[in-house]
Amino acid sequence: MSRAFPWTRILAVVVGLILLPGAASAGPPLPADAAFRLGVADSGNATLVFAWDIAPGHYLYRDRIAVSTDDGKAVPLELPPGAQKDDPAFGATQVYHDHVSTTIARSALPASGAIHVTYQGCAEHGVCYPPVGQKIDLATLAATPERKSLAPAVVVPAGPAQTTQGRTDGALASRLSGDLPTVLLGFLGFGLLLAFTPCVFPMLPILSGMLARSGQELTPRKGFVLSSAYVLAMALAYAALGLAAAWSGQNLQVLLQRPVAIVLMGLVFVVLALSMFGLYELALPAKLATRLSRATGRPGGSIGGAALLGFGSALVVGPCVTPPLAAALLYVAQTGDVLRGAAALFALGLGMGLPLLAFGAFGGRLLPKSGPWLVTVKQVFGFLFLGLAIWILGRVLPGPATLGLWGGLAIAAGLWFGLLRSRGFGMRLAGGGIALGGAFLLVVGLGVVPLSCPLAVCAGTTTASMDDTAVSFRKVSTVNAFDAALAEARSKGQPILVDFYADWCVVCREIDREVMADAAVRARLGNVAVLRVDVTADSPESRALMHRFDVVGPPTMLFLNARTGREADDSRFVGAVSAAQFLQTLHKVGA
Amino acid sequence: MKSNLLFAFAVCLVLVAAIAPSRRAVATQGHVDSSAMPDDPSAPVTGNPKGDVTIIEFSDYNCPFCKQSAAALEKFVASDSKVRVVHKDWPVLTDASAYGARLALAAGYQGKYAEVHAALMRIPGMRISKDRMLEAVKASGVDMDRLESDQKAHAQEIDALLERNAEQAETLGLQGTPAFLVGPYIVPSALGYEDFKQVVADARTKMRGGD
Repeated sequence: MSRAFPWTRILAVVVGLILLPGAASAGPPLPADAAFRLGVADSGNATLVFAWDIAPGHYLYRDRIAVSTDDGKAVPLELPPGAQKDDPAFGATQVYHDHVSTTIARSALPASGAIHVTYQGCAEHGVCYPPVGQKIDLATLAATPERKSLAPAVVVPAGPAQTTQGRTDGALASRLSGDLPTVLLGFLGFGLLLAFTPCVFPMLPILSGMLARSGQELTPRKGFVLSSAYVLAMALAYAALGLAAAWSGQNLQVLLQRPVAIVLMGLVFVVLALSMFGLYELALPAKLATRLSRATGRPGGSIGGAALLGFGSALVVGPCVTPPLAAALLYVAQTGDVLRGAAALFALGLGMGLPLLAFGAFGGRLLPKSGPWLVTVKQVFGFLFLGLAIWILGRVLPGPATLGLWGGLAIAAGLWFGLLRSRGFGMRLAGGGIALGGAFLLVVGLGVVPLSCPLAVCAGTTTASMDDTAVSFRKVSTVNAFDAALAEARSKGQPILVDFYADWCVVCREIDREVMADAAVRARLGNVAVLRVDVTADSPESRALMHRFDVVGPPTMLFLNARTGREADDSRFVGAVSAAQFLQTLHKVGA
Repeated sequence: MKSNLLFAFAVCLVLVAAIAPSRRAVATQGHVDSSAMPDDPSAPVTGNPKGDVTIIEFSDYNCPFCKQSAAALEKFVASDSKVRVVHKDWPVLTDASAYGARLALAAGYQGKYAEVHAALMRIPGMRISKDRMLEAVKASGVDMDRLESDQKAHAQEIDALLERNAEQAETLGLQGTPAFLVGPYIVPSALGYEDFKQVVADARTKMRGGD
């Protein structure tokens, strides 16, 4: 088969489906949960009604419908007789078309907890579906899909994570099905907590720069309006993540970490920085500007700009996979309840932005309104924007190049502020020092002086600080390589750490620097087989591996038991982690 | 002031540029994409290993449609000497399905996958127990002692293969069994003899056309 542009392949599929007689003319089969829809309701007189809507052209097997309790006991069912189906290949069997329902008395069920309903059917045109499992909460009657695991050995290598979610996102995901206002308030709170993490820090200079650009016109009211637009858009971006997850089953953030998006965003910051230096005035053609300002009713129309900046910042600048984010995305993926998931994510984004809002309203007072100081402040932000550009580009550039860019920036900033623009001796000395430091970084970055990275800033330039002989460390990015590495690790009988990592993941690098480099952690890691799954590139392979463990993005770390191949209970970390927490879990899994 | 607007356009551009390629990736997923279907050297092959068209079969030993299709496929392969068939056991319907798949794959170590596969597919019905499967395998002429020792010795390899098959089925967006990949086409449902004949003919035309 030749490799071709995917569109031609898609076309081939479509053409193929049209060309096929009978069998395939029905199009791709429905997913099982769309072919058979189960609804559970309380009929009012102490009985529960279980009703299935069956899509046209599909049928359910009468003898494949089963209900069991949490401890695995079967609940007796009275099912109506089905249509007789007698086919040599199938044997005699009864099936239901269109609709079937049955009732179970509450007295026949446990007083609390959940029950598990499984059912199985086929499409007439020739597909049999795996059994569908639904967990029904007896208090709320809410249904949560659960995959029925067949013979456990089939899933030996990985034990797909559908049974065990990590401590954090598992607990959070179940909380999502509660009372909506409580859920939203909870996510707002999580957002507030996240506001003081590196996920949000980069947004401070962006917002301040935006405010500084307003110059004379900046009043607290205007500052508040601008930052509100920024924060609302940021929250909307998070809600969009939920929608994208439901729409494509993928994490939009992962998709947005493509080199093209990163380079473009970096360039945007460079352009913005240059305008801060007064190199040119970014301005629209007068005609268009007038029309737009008429439309918004305000001169400049910068609110829209602030909003788009907020949207972009949330998705491209500060992508952080955190437990609440993972929980909401998993909730959407598992239940298909898009609105609730998106609302929770919106609340999360809003919470993350609240401190920015306060900053926008009151921080503006600290900025000078006019005069030479305003020029200096704008220039400082110019350098900050250049720094942001380098920081973002660092996700795709090789380490030494990034280091060299930092050096160049430091030289420029030192010379500019220290030597050209200040008169005091102290300032000149400081500027000279910064420039010298920058020159040193530049030299290291260019590879003139070999240096084995003693600086914190160059931690990102090594592929992984775990990469040494003391720790059994394997880096994989394909399903086959993962399976091979996993089989090898299991044969050693040590606990296995599966570490989802990407070069663009800022928190991953922080974990490498602060947790994996910790002496106590390293000592224990000697007893662990570390499988680092590199998901830097978005590919079907990396998606398959993330899907296998229900991972929404890096950093996610989980431990597998070597004997069973299953995920150890309460061993999953999503997002940032401290060395102490990590040590505790290492201890628990027996490392 | 106006500059913020221009900046807004720039951000817009970034987002569009970033999302545009991702849409394509989403559309490709779940359909045929040869890169998502790496050639798995340990998956059993029947028919002509050097054939010009490859049929990849995803099936389950308790799936009646699979049994109908397997019979049709066997007949078709006997009539077309240039077809290569890759069998991907994907046991999803019952516990016994996985048991049967392991027996068939273990038989592969003595070169008898095709025989055991055919024997299991010939048992009519869809609630076949493990015992009945074992009976059919014993009757297929396979060396049972060897099969048992191979099953023990290669348990991990066999399970890893089943896991890979399941991963690939999921990547392709398959919803159930059977499903066939025929050259550049994906057919996610049962096929009869005439259907195989037509899809393979279409696949040959398509591939000659340069795709």
